Amino acid sequence: MPDIDIDATGKTVMLLGNEAIARGALEAGVGFVASYPGTPSSEILPALAKVAKRRGLYAEWSINEMVAMMNAAAAAMSGIRAMATMKQNGTNVAMDFLATQVRWGVRGGAGLVLVNCDDPGGRNSPNEQDTRSVAKMLDIPMLEPGDFQEAKDMTRWLFDLSEELDTLVMLRAVAKISHTSGNVTLGELSSREHRASFPLDPPRMVAGGSLNAHARLHEKLEKTREKYESSPFNRYVGPDKPELLIIACGASWLHSMEAVRLLGLQDRVGVLKLGTIWPLPEKLVVKHLAKSDKVLFIEEVHPFLEGNVMELASSRGPTGPHPFFYGKRSGHIPAFGELNPDAVIQAVTRIMDIAYQSRPSEYSNKVEAAAKEEVILRIGTLCPGCPHRASYWAIHKALKLDGRDGFATSDNGCMSAGLGPGGFFVAKTHGAMGAGAGMADGFGKLGQFGLSQPVLGSVGDSTFFHAGIPPLINAVWNRSNMILIIYDNSATAMTGFQPHPGTGMTAMGAQGQTITPEDICRSLGIRVEICDPFELDKTTETLLDVMRDEDHGPRVVIMRHECELQRARRETPPYLVYVDAEKCLGESCGCDRLCTRIFRCPGLRWNEKTGKAEIDEVTCCGCGLCVDVCPQGAIVREVAVSEEKELQEEIVGR
Amino acid sequence: MKGCKELINEVVNQNLCCLCGACAGSCPYLVSYKGRIVKLDDCTLKEGQCYQYCPRTLTDMDALSQHVFGEPYRGDALGTSKEVIMARSTNEAIRAKAQYGGTVTTLLSLAMTEGIIDSAILTRTNADKTPNATLARNKQEILDSAGSNYMACSILETYNHLPEDSVDKLAIVGMPCQVIAVTKMRKEKPQHRSSTDNIKLVLGLFCTWALDQNSFHRFLKTSFNLSSITKMDIPPPPANRIDVYTDSSRVSLPLEQVREFTMPTCAYCLDMTSEFADISVGSVEGIEGWNTIIVRTVSGSKLIEMARKQGKLEIDALPAANLAHLKEAALNKKKRALGEIIRRTGDKKKLLYLDLAPSLVNKLLD
Repeated sequence: MPDIDIDATGKTVMLLGNEAIARGALEAGVGFVASYPGTPSSEILPALAKVAKRRGLYAEWSINEMVAMMNAAAAAMSGIRAMATMKQNGTNVAMDFLATQVRWGVRGGAGLVLVNCDDPGGRNSPNEQDTRSVAKMLDIPMLEPGDFQEAKDMTRWLFDLSEELDTLVMLRAVAKISHTSGNVTLGELSSREHRASFPLDPPRMVAGGSLNAHARLHEKLEKTREKYESSPFNRYVGPDKPELLIIACGASWLHSMEAVRLLGLQDRVGVLKLGTIWPLPEKLVVKHLAKSDKVLFIEEVHPFLEGNVMELASSRGPTGPHPFFYGKRSGHIPAFGELNPDAVIQAVTRIMDIAYQSRPSEYSNKVEAAAKEEVILRIGTLCPGCPHRASYWAIHKALKLDGRDGFATSDNGCMSAGLGPGGFFVAKTHGAMGAGAGMADGFGKLGQFGLSQPVLGSVGDSTFFHAGIPPLINAVWNRSNMILIIYDNSATAMTGFQPHPGTGMTAMGAQGQTITPEDICRSLGIRVEICDPFELDKTTETLLDVMRDEDHGPRVVIMRHECELQRARRETPPYLVYVDAEKCLGESCGCDRLCTRIFRCPGLRWNEKTGKAEIDEVTCCGCGLCVDVCPQGAIVREVAVSEEKELQEEIVGR
Repeated sequence: MKGCKELINEVVNQNLCCLCGACAGSCPYLVSYKGRIVKLDDCTLKEGQCYQYCPRTLTDMDALSQHVFGEPYRGDALGTSKEVIMARSTNEAIRAKAQYGGTVTTLLSLAMTEGIIDSAILTRTNADKTPNATLARNKQEILDSAGSNYMACSILETYNHLPEDSVDKLAIVGMPCQVIAVTKMRKEKPQHRSSTDNIKLVLGLFCTWALDQNSFHRFLKTSFNLSSITKMDIPPPPANRIDVYTDSSRVSLPLEQVREFTMPTCAYCLDMTSEFADISVGSVEGIEGWNTIIVRTVSGSKLIEMARKQGKLEIDALPAANLAHLKEAALNKKKRALGEIIRRTGDKKKLLYLDLAPSLVNKLLD
């Protein structure tokens, strides 16, 4: 894929859904973009940041989604078309600001677009969430693309709508749109000039209290509804009088079309694809409801369309269309999780009483058998060489040695691994960004009620800046008996190595001001220890000491070791690691497969035939940590000499 | 034989652990830490050496006696012995540092000089008064470990840490439970650890009970700065007190005050004099600055003889009254412990860890 600012109007290119959104913004003349990384939204900002200099834009990774949203609003109010992008959970962070921001609109300035990327199934999220409800709650217009072309076109159009109605507008994209690629026919790049000024007396600013503002939002929604009634983002495919009408949006529309085609029901089932989700284009919907006495909703996460359409139908009175509604409520569609064509096929065949087998069971059995043989069984865990594994190893040991039933909290991103085998189950709670710090702060104040278990709060380095600082300050102020572990791998690793204040680099590749977690923590006048978690014993000792050092309020331990994957992108592995099979005790007394049963770095593999551990050379990143974990000294590391270094040495030698 | 899981369930969680360290340090799962055996992760093996060598899992006293002495376990008050004497070091520097007569320090130094041993696993008292197992490699390190602290210490974990291919000749100084664990290891040789053939000398200490480090220290801290304590002594009966020495003072506390910090497992121990050691050493009732010595094995005999000849030890006969008192105390410990065991199990045939002939049980209960 070339950069998204390719100047080729009318050309069809393959774009990732998120790149299509970025392209749409570029075609609309966006000037200011802010974001915080979060799957599945993370690719939008970098696509724009990459072309920012030559397109004259400003793009930033903000400290968190609330700040990103505030930044974008300030830009829009100053006449710069602005966009904030975030994942579903980020929207929660921005929510407090959004709830008030919508009362102001853009103050007569330029278009302001909020892009929410949802993660149905919560594959890369702590939960499953549906941000369509946010638009309804905020009383703002919202669109949802059903393909990649729409991802671009809707984004572009939303800027115009925002500007025309003087309101924040929203795009919701699900993971299967954001994170898959498809054809997009490019439009013209904007030649809009970005000039900011903040009018003290804006032309369209209307004075009045919050009730007036609320009333105006409803007026704007009615205007939006009018536009939606004839929007090209809504389409119907199917017979005039279908036996079954499917109403779908987003990727669910693609699944629906595929299901109907696979079932060969094109002349019996119709599909109404909605792109204008809020407010509902009521006339359009009612017109289609009249076509069939059976309606099936296909949508991901909440029954949002289902509920709103049913509400609409019930408001039509006895003469209105009253079909039977199928969907999540009726149990024909799963109430949670990501959907796929199979889910649609199951619902349709059940409603229409059709027999269908997607593939011969013999084939399924063959696939399963092949998978069992060929695919390495892996647990959900941290990456090979992950420094957090070292931190968790030390924490696990320290908690056991301390012996007071101490526990850790976990936080979002890589820190959530603390809950599972990858983190040796040290973490026992999980919440939002910053909850690892905030909950530990809470536990740390339960001493007066008899809670004497040590509490190790957890926060990643990026999350520390995002939401970890206020709970820490609260803990210092109120003298909470907690320890905050800051897992500093010098990257926002889980979402793809975005920089953050600790790394100092900005989204546009400039060197910003570096802010270290230790400087912030020390400024609070508390004990701060910095460990390299790869020094396992030393780290365990430090943790034990810090756990015993009570009565002074919170303490901070920074686990600092660069993300191995980030390092591996730059350098060759530091070590060549192998197992000395003679020394490996395997399942014997004295080991019982510690490395592959408990430690479980994906770079290690258990060979059932030989009864020995092995290094999986494809996966191993050569960090050498397992050498210090093996009780038998059976894992060996040799300093790896890179070809480049060898060559240099050869030259020097001459 | 069972494994780690059962060890934790049957011994550690039942308050029967005596912290000898036999289970710890030879695998990644069991370690001792600040007076506790800690299981870091689950081991799935059905059979483990941790369970096998624990002095509180099935212990066939007769088999151990046969292994060490080539004769059956008779349940005698002092166990198998060649002679019972009293001795003290002729080295004043050793006596000054020693708990009583400095016999253990002197015998170890001699064994090292004579090349009988290269190093010794001993219990040292840290500055914070915690006991600390140490591998002494020279005479100064041996002397540094002189003196008692009345607390259990996982000396066998230090043994288990030795490299598998180690050829160092070793002495081990231990309390009765530790000596039983060593004897179990010598009888059924461990795998993937340093060979027990390297153990050339086992010196056993007399022990009535040991104190739990954590609760005892909490108690001491209420009256003392732990680092200021220079020595602790529980004089033989009928003194019934514990003396705590600091640089400036000696404070005597009634023994009753510390007895509550006794390790629960000590109540079930029948062995006061480390009956499976080569030589056992304790105090002498009423004669300050001397040790009671029980010589048990041929190698023990040889070492004592060597010390006598070289003038390292001053040796005398133990007065008959002292011997009688010692036997009485040792037998009382046996009777008391057996009674406690049966009270716990409620069955004369179920003796927790002990494998003892019914005739012996009846003899001791009489």
